Amino acid sequence: MERGPAGSIRVNGQSYDRPFPPERILLDLLREDFNLTGTKRGCDLGTCGCCTVWIDGVPTLSCLTLAALAEGHTITTVEGLSSPSELHAVQRAFVERGATQCGFCTPGFIMTAAALLRDQPHPSREEITKAISGNLCRCTGYSKIIEAIEVAAAGTG
Amino acid sequence: MHLDPFELHRPASVGEAVELTRKFGPACDLLAGGTDLLPNYKMHLNVKRHLVALGDVAELRTHSLERIGAMTRLGELERDTAFRATYPGLAEAIGEVATPLVRASATVGGNLLVETRCFFFNQSYFWRDSLGYCLKADGDRCHVVPQKERCYATFSGDLAPALGVLNASIEIAGPTGLRTVNVLDLYDAAGDGIRRHHLAEGEIVTAILLPDSARRVRSTYRKLRIRPTFDFPELGIAASLDLDGSRVRALAIAAGGLETYPKRFDEFTAPLVGAPLTAEAITAIADQIMRSVRPVYNTFLAPDYRKRMVAVYVRRALEHLSGVRAEAAG
Amino acid sequence: MATTSPPGFRLLGGRIPYIEGPLKVSGRAEYTDDIKRPGMLFGGLLRSPWAHARLRSIDVRAARAMPGVFAVLTGERYPTPFGVLPMTHDETAIAVGKARYVGDILAAVAASDEVTAEQALRAIRVDAEILPEYADPKVGVLPVKEPIHARGLAGTNIQKEVVQHFGDVDAALRLAAHTVRVRGIFPGVTHAFTEPLVTIAEATPDGRLTVWSATQVPHYLHRSLSEVLGIPMHRIRVIKPEVGGGFGGKSDPLPHEIVCAALAIETGRPVKLRVDREDVFLTNHGRHPTQNDVTIATDPDGHILAYDIDALIEGGAWSSFGTVTTYYNGVLSMGPYKVPNFRYRGRRVYTNKPPSGAMRAHGGTNIRYSVEVALDELAEKIGIDPFELRRRNALPPGSTTINEFRITSTSFLRCLEAAREKSGWEGKFRKQPFGRGVGLGCGFYISGSNSPIHFTPKMPQSTVHLKVDMDGGIAVHSMQADIGQGSNTLLAAIVAEVLGVDLERVHVVRVDSDVSPIDLGSYSSRVTFMMGNAARLAAEDLRNKLLEAASHLVGHPVEQLVVGHERIEVRHRPEIGTSFLEALHAAMEHTGALTATGAYSSPPMGGTFKGARAGTAPAYSFAAYVAEVEVDAETGEFHVETVWAAFDCGRPLNRLAVEGQIEGSIHMGLGQLMGETMSYRGTRLMNPSLLEYKIPAPQQMPRVECLLVGEDDPEGPFGAKEAGEGPLVATLPAVANALYDAVGVRFATLPITPDRVVKGIEERRRSGRAWKGA
Repeated sequence: MERGPAGSIRVNGQSYDRPFPPERILLDLLREDFNLTGTKRGCDLGTCGCCTVWIDGVPTLSCLTLAALAEGHTITTVEGLSSPSELHAVQRAFVERGATQCGFCTPGFIMTAAALLRDQPHPSREEITKAISGNLCRCTGYSKIIEAIEVAAAGTG
Repeated sequence: MHLDPFELHRPASVGEAVELTRKFGPACDLLAGGTDLLPNYKMHLNVKRHLVALGDVAELRTHSLERIGAMTRLGELERDTAFRATYPGLAEAIGEVATPLVRASATVGGNLLVETRCFFFNQSYFWRDSLGYCLKADGDRCHVVPQKERCYATFSGDLAPALGVLNASIEIAGPTGLRTVNVLDLYDAAGDGIRRHHLAEGEIVTAILLPDSARRVRSTYRKLRIRPTFDFPELGIAASLDLDGSRVRALAIAAGGLETYPKRFDEFTAPLVGAPLTAEAITAIADQIMRSVRPVYNTFLAPDYRKRMVAVYVRRALEHLSGVRAEAAG
Repeated sequence: MATTSPPGFRLLGGRIPYIEGPLKVSGRAEYTDDIKRPGMLFGGLLRSPWAHARLRSIDVRAARAMPGVFAVLTGERYPTPFGVLPMTHDETAIAVGKARYVGDILAAVAASDEVTAEQALRAIRVDAEILPEYADPKVGVLPVKEPIHARGLAGTNIQKEVVQHFGDVDAALRLAAHTVRVRGIFPGVTHAFTEPLVTIAEATPDGRLTVWSATQVPHYLHRSLSEVLGIPMHRIRVIKPEVGGGFGGKSDPLPHEIVCAALAIETGRPVKLRVDREDVFLTNHGRHPTQNDVTIATDPDGHILAYDIDALIEGGAWSSFGTVTTYYNGVLSMGPYKVPNFRYRGRRVYTNKPPSGAMRAHGGTNIRYSVEVALDELAEKIGIDPFELRRRNALPPGSTTINEFRITSTSFLRCLEAAREKSGWEGKFRKQPFGRGVGLGCGFYISGSNSPIHFTPKMPQSTVHLKVDMDGGIAVHSMQADIGQGSNTLLAAIVAEVLGVDLERVHVVRVDSDVSPIDLGSYSSRVTFMMGNAARLAAEDLRNKLLEAASHLVGHPVEQLVVGHERIEVRHRPEIGTSFLEALHAAMEHTGALTATGAYSSPPMGGTFKGARAGTAPAYSFAAYVAEVEVDAETGEFHVETVWAAFDCGRPLNRLAVEGQIEGSIHMGLGQLMGETMSYRGTRLMNPSLLEYKIPAPQQMPRVECLLVGEDDPEGPFGAKEAGEGPLVATLPAVANALYDAVGVRFATLPITPDRVVKGIEERRRSGRAWKGA
């Protein structure tokens, strides 16, 4: 019944011990306090998917997650998906196939797509389309995003 | 967008949760997946001083084919192939809630108790302040149907109708122990967009119980909306059918997205039990149900269209379940 | 990584992945909101709750006294009006005297954090007299009690009226064998870029101001900051980080950008001002709500005799690009066709709603929709195929339109052929069962406005600087604004192509007014054409210096030398030559780092009548799209299955980017067609959220077949023309005409929501007209 936790949170394999109030939203914590700005704020109300991170491997809207409730769970942001020297297969495919334009929605799509291919290495086009249907892209018309995920799937297959 | 400060409580058991909920009464909200509550909090809609987060209550998080803990995430059920195969209509309803990302957090209990929605309610503090607040938050009048008595906010959950036609019940824990009610009896048909369910102070929905019959019947869920993702229902029709040869053993139809509570239409389906489900019968039921509903203009699509689509969606649902073709004359 | 370039090219014409792609996919690309400055404060804006009100007084004392509040500003502090067009400066950074829409900025604060800023805003007391509010442009064309702006025409809310008449329309109408009238009704739509508006500003003790902003025209922001704040441009530095989409919505200098800078000046501290999603909707500057009445007359064979058009255009609270919009709704109606007689009246009317402005395919989308729907109806009336009607009226290359537009290249006929053949039109049109249909829609669009908003017409529209030092890296400076369309990649590729070097040698430097030469930014589909030409000239300038040096090294005259891959060599004798680096180092002796400049100005063009320059462009793109749809006639829901997009962008320089623009344009066009709408009740925007503003989902996206059939443009860089906006225009009428083929209903009002489809089918049936047997 205590007022909020002391604040210990694991992001991309690192523990952050820093107090934060119970009303702190995970997206704000990542961006403002931890300087993990790869996760984007698009609508702040859970529609656009720009803020997608993994919580225990599950793509989740960080703008609708209380940071306090993420304590004890494993958080992965786009910065933690791959190393600077080697991009994830999905990231490579997004670059190669022109699946980014303005790039603002891209980290969210990458997190969604990488989880999809981890759980389902050979998704159908329909399954890909459904999987990304919580991420909004205003530039690409989704065509090249779907194509890139197909390419990444073929490459990892 | 920031949240106003609140006290966060994290009970570890149902008992603790009930105790906290009883203690704080109207000064607290339950936090399940947060995908409905937190957007509303960000818009400063009916914000409370205390939040009781149910995520640590392990007993609420398990599910089987017979019993779904209220804190089971929609995404978990979606991935459960046995569950999907057993309850196709319910699985359709779950798969059509919002987006995959929302479903990763959203819970079964949260969807049952999803806040009713209205163009004049689901707006920022600035927006509502500039127009003048409404009955449902901070104000004393309705902007949809101008008067001061009744709130017309629309029930927008997808699961309730789908569970309703399976004769599911819900388990409720409260200060005096457990009770069980039919899922649609949770909702207050005599209430409105504000007084929308029969939960007493301190009561918590703990589980959904699916009877044996739910595994026998065929079921389906059809959702009307502008986009096949993101959107709340403009109309949601659930139907279940159990046929004995060509005769109806059981038939249930329920709708959401139309009025302030999800509705089951037993008065129209009951007469069919024991009778064959003919094309004429399907058309007649679809028409009766359509005539009985009263949507208002507080969602994206016009109410007259939503009302008309009730007949089409009901007919198609029954055609799908029965194999009988009752297509309206072209 | 580039592949399959046409003969003679190493990079251009292939598929060139965006150079910043690795940064974007890894979350390392830096957008404005990702930047933090030491000691940074946060800004907040008090927005008007009234649609139209006279501001009597604003009491900010309580807000100013709150702990954590560093500054509170109201309108009179910086009252200098501004606006994107020099002739219509009717905006102020913060409202002065009146509030003109729900969302107008009344005051601003800078505070230690956003929560404190919000609390301070709530402590501000505004005393206002509520004025009559105007939601309907039809009311505003007449004298009104309280005009929204004093500059409205003769006591009305008309901001701009354009009347044009070429030829003799009345005579043509009398002679016409066939006439069709369409009244198109178009609610507003908005850009809905994914990155919200955001600005950071910092005033430093050296008297300089630095502004980082999510803008697609850094130069106009630069000028407006200078004008309103009274600081000379050379003491202001504008930096454009990555921008998360614009589509026209970040092309005006916006009030929050100026307010942010003003707060930085007031406080002496860096200030970040984030505009949340709702306020992005209220800032709007999206496509104008429009009603257009279009009459098209033809001779018995379908040759167009005349257009007669009246457009009523809703401007919202400010002028923005509105004067241009008012011209465009007329002049962009004609191409790709010969129109011998043309009459147009356009009126743009202020209303007490969020301002309209420029949105992708600005001024062309709505009018071309009505025209293309009318042409479809004409073809039916005359009894000829819609393709044949277009073919008969196509503007030839090297022609001049009646309003004196210069049409240099057009591959419109090739677009028609490609779309017809690839779509299998012959076997589908009017031949498929009820509920299934194909439709043709065509378009054209300017490839860069010839009439720039600029200091003087003699300044180049685009300038590119190159710098290369002994490390062999080529730095490219230009104020063109990559907002996701891939212009940085094209800039680098053009330089690399001309110099024969690998793409990775070329670094496009982030737009920074301290070092980037002026380019007018990303609007009017000008970047490929104008920046491309400037980049080519700059690279050729540098190449000539390298050739000169190489000539001494290899002992062959410059005329015999050519650029090879990372080297300079003798033509037809590639074994004789020198490497790029050797040539570079030789060229640098005694001079140090090499620099080169290229600049582009469009050539003289256009007539001399009033407004003649509106719509003139050094080139135009052309399009012919076929859409195929499947309609559920009972629910009115429909799915666009395929779009065959035949497009003439001249020579496509980066196929990946051109396809991306076409696919994205089709998605955005479908949005306006299927459900996107700025939904108002009175003056109130009902759906300022991405949940209720219905951008199409991935499931709604058709299969798109891009048919790039353009031939080289004589003036475009390497023959290229625009591909950023033109691809949107043809989308909407192609689908509307396909719906007609499917169910026999004409839709002149957007969006075509399922309820309207059902209603349309019913009305047709009630009127006794069968369609394909249904």
